[in-house]
This record gives sequence, C-alpha cells and structure tokens, in this order.
Amino acid sequence: MAEPALRDTAMPAVDVRNLSLVYRSRDRAVNALSNVDLQVERGSFVSLIGPSGCGKSTLLRVLGDLLAPTSGTVLLDGRAPRAERLDRRIGFVFQDPALPEWRTILANVALPLELRGTPRADREAQARELIDLVGLTGFEGAYPRQLSGGMRQRAAIARALSTKPRLLLLDEPFGALDQITRDRLNLELMHIHEVTRVTVVLVTHSIREAVLLSDRIVVMTPRPGRISRILEDRLPRPRRLQTRDLPDYEDLVRLGNSALERGYAHV
Amino acid sequence: MVLRLVEEAGPPIVVLVVLIAFWEWACHAFGIKTYVLPAPSSILGAFIKGSNTLLYHAGITAFEAMAGFVIGSALGALIGTAFAYSRFLARGFLPYIIAANTIPVVAIAPIIIIWFGHGIGSKIAVTAFLSFFPLALNMMKGLQSYDRVVMDVFHIAAATPTQAFFKMRLPSALPYVFVGLKLNVTFSVIGAIVAEFVQADRGLGFVIMTSYRSMAMPRLWAAMLLSALMGIVFFLIVAALERVFVPWHASMDPGR
Repeated sequence: MAEPALRDTAMPAVDVRNLSLVYRSRDRAVNALSNVDLQVERGSFVSLIGPSGCGKSTLLRVLGDLLAPTSGTVLLDGRAPRAERLDRRIGFVFQDPALPEWRTILANVALPLELRGTPRADREAQARELIDLVGLTGFEGAYPRQLSGGMRQRAAIARALSTKPRLLLLDEPFGALDQITRDRLNLELMHIHEVTRVTVVLVTHSIREAVLLSDRIVVMTPRPGRISRILEDRLPRPRRLQTRDLPDYEDLVRLGNSALERGYAHV
Repeated sequence: MVLRLVEEAGPPIVVLVVLIAFWEWACHAFGIKTYVLPAPSSILGAFIKGSNTLLYHAGITAFEAMAGFVIGSALGALIGTAFAYSRFLARGFLPYIIAANTIPVVAIAPIIIIWFGHGIGSKIAVTAFLSFFPLALNMMKGLQSYDRVVMDVFHIAAATPTQAFFKMRLPSALPYVFVGLKLNVTFSVIGAIVAEFVQADRGLGFVIMTSYRSMAMPRLWAAMLLSALMGIVFFLIVAALERVFVPWHASMDPGR
C-alpha cells in the first residue's frame, strides 16, 4: 500500500490547472477566470486577494463545487471537487454567516453532521467541542438572532469544521465585521489552523489580513480574472497579532500593495 | 404577564362595553324598530331562547368550515409546492388559477352544489375551493424565498433534495404558510355560510336565510354574531399554532 502514503505526502491539497470560467449571459460573455494555475500544499494557508471582479470568489466557488469551470482541471487531494464535497471533506464559510434562524447555535453547528446521518448524541458532542474551539461556550441554546455578527461568524466557522474537512474555504468571512472583532477572529482562525492543520484558502480584500495569516498570498487581477503574482509569506509561526510589529510584516504588506496596485491599473 | 394582558385586552373591552351600552340605550331612546336594529338585549334573548338549535347549526357550519379549510389548505400546499419546484407548471397553470380565483364564490357555489349534492359535502367543497388559493400562492412564494447562501451551505454539506426541502425550504416557507392559513381560515367560515345560502337545510347560513324570510331579526343577528365569533376563534387557533411552529420569526417578537 505504497500509493496512499505517496498520495498523502506528495499530492497537493489543491491542484488547479489551466482553469477558465466564462459566464455567458444573453448578449455577452465574461471571462471570470482565465488560465489559472494554482497548487496549495496540504496544511498550508493561502489567501486570494485582488480587486472586485478578479475572480477570487469564483475560484473559491469552483474549489467548493458550487460552480463548474468552463475548461481546465481541479483536483482536491487528487479527486474531483464533487467527490470531495459529497464526502463532506470541504468546509465553506461565506461572508454571510447563513445560520438558519430557527435552529439554535448547537443545531446549526451540528447541521452538516445531521445531514450526514450522525446520531444525535454523537453530533451534539462533536458540535459542543467545536463551539468550545471557537469560543462560543454558553451560547449552545441561543438563536442566531440573539448573537452579534462576530459570534454568528464563529458559529459558521464551527459548522464548516464539523465534518472534519480537509479543505476549509473562506469567502471574505470577516468582511462585514468591525476591525476589533476582525482582529480577534483572525487570532482564532490562526489558532484553529494550528490545532486542526486543515488546508485553508481565504478570499479577502485586506492585504494586512492576508499577510498576517498566510503562507502564500495569491494576487489576482480582473478582466480577465487571472493570477498576477504569488507572494511567499515566511513570517515565523505561530503567528500572533504582534507578528504585525515585525519589519518583515510591513515589507510584505508593501509588496502586496504594489502587486495589488498593478492589478488595479487594469480596472 | 397579567399586566401585559390587561394592557392589551383592556382598551378593546372598554370600547366594546361602551358601544353595547350606547346601542342598547339608543334603541330605546330613539324607539328604533326591532327589524331595523334589534337591541343587544333582544339579540341575547333570541340567542338564549334558541341556544340549542343555534349551537347545533353553528356546529354544522363549524364542521363544514374546518373540513373545507383542511382540504383546501392541503390541496393548496400540494399545488403550491409543485409550482415552487416546476417553472413549467407554475407558468402554465398560474394564469388560470388566478382567473379562477376572481370568480365570485356565490357564482360558483350553485355549480359545486350540483356536482357534490345537497348534503354537507358540497358545503365543504365550496369552502375548500375558497381556501385553496391563498395557501397555494403563499406556499409557492414561501418555498422560493429561502436564503441562497443557506442553500449553498446545504449544498456544501451534500444535502439531498429531500433534506433541503424539509430542513430548509419548508421552515423558510412557514411564515408565508401562516399568512395563507390565516386568510384561509377567515374565508372558510364565509365559504360555508355562502354555500348554505345557496342551498341548505341546516347551518348558520340556513338560520340566517330562514330568519330573514320570517323577519326574525334578533335571531338573524344572533346567528350573524355567532358566525363572526366562529371566524375569530378559528383565526386565534391558527395564530396560536403559528406561535408554536414559527417562534423564531421576527414578527413574533414583541417590541419589534
């Protein structure tokens, strides 16, 4: 059984080759993604950043099997995104926490396990652990309406982790939150990444957030959506909010900003 | 809790008592003839005198209304669900359903009575006809009104279409369903009475018709008020069910 071992070490968690996606409407076609190549190492943290229309969210949705590409191949741990999704090995967090309002936080976090058919006692025990991991202990019985935006997003993250995914896709999860809440959730995200070693692909508008969290920062440009530059981020781990005080941090932010500016020149 | 009840129920009760007192006084003071406007006391008298028969007829009408409401709502929910899932069915049938909905119930009642006979069945059928449309339309709208991001969450979690229906689309639709049910339950009493107007030998509509022919106006008023009370009680039952089944909905929150 040498092959599975080989698969586990050498195969990238995400392998995108020559991916293109064209949105066709009645009178025109938009090249949302054009010839995208991207490999993401298992257990690493990658951010996708770029101006609106650069296709970063589209790319994330293709990875999550929410969109089908027009051409090219996508493999997640060597398998089609659909197979990974059907095995519930993908976690996805959207900008909107999207917690059904009639479910308690516990029932919301346990939802993917419930859909999988995990017995109630099991799934609730697992959900409680995750609720603890994201710092929502004590709010198991609360309804989403009773929680703040940041707390709702924590619950959404816990839910995305409930099936123990190999790949966690985050689509601007903190975009609607204030800066202080955002910092705290970034900290928690770093912690979650360290504890679970899940591969993370994060779509963000904030270069500072990307530099703080990532191993690699993928800068994208619009029209057509494509990758313009990939920055390696070798800031020491574990990352802390204090990581932002390092000179290297500022250097990377500058580098990222200039790469982004070249992208905005296309707008 | 008790204070809130007093606060909410207080004003309408005061208004009711004052209105009835004024009504009673005006009937005597201006010598209004009983067939024009019976005094509350004579309506109450007619009710007490004929309470056994009145309640029997009210029971018949209540049964017709409830049975028609349940059958009509069930059909409406089924058709509304089909429309929510099939654009073809919705676009094909909706124009005709809306057209059928504009038919006055008094016009269609005689036809339904010819089809379903002179018994209680035809009254139930008229009621079902009337309480079909609101739920069909609200069910369709409700099932289509789910949150697209929540649908993505279900998709990522590999939910089956059945799971998506029962755990997402149906709960999302419930506030709309109750809008439809509240309309239906009010229409159901109207439907039953209109059907009894057209042809019946029992029920409150029958009592109203016969009282009118014999100019027994206090009895007619008693029957009318009884039918109104029935509608209110039915409505309150549905509203209570809404509180049980949709406790999360924002409109259920006091003070919002």
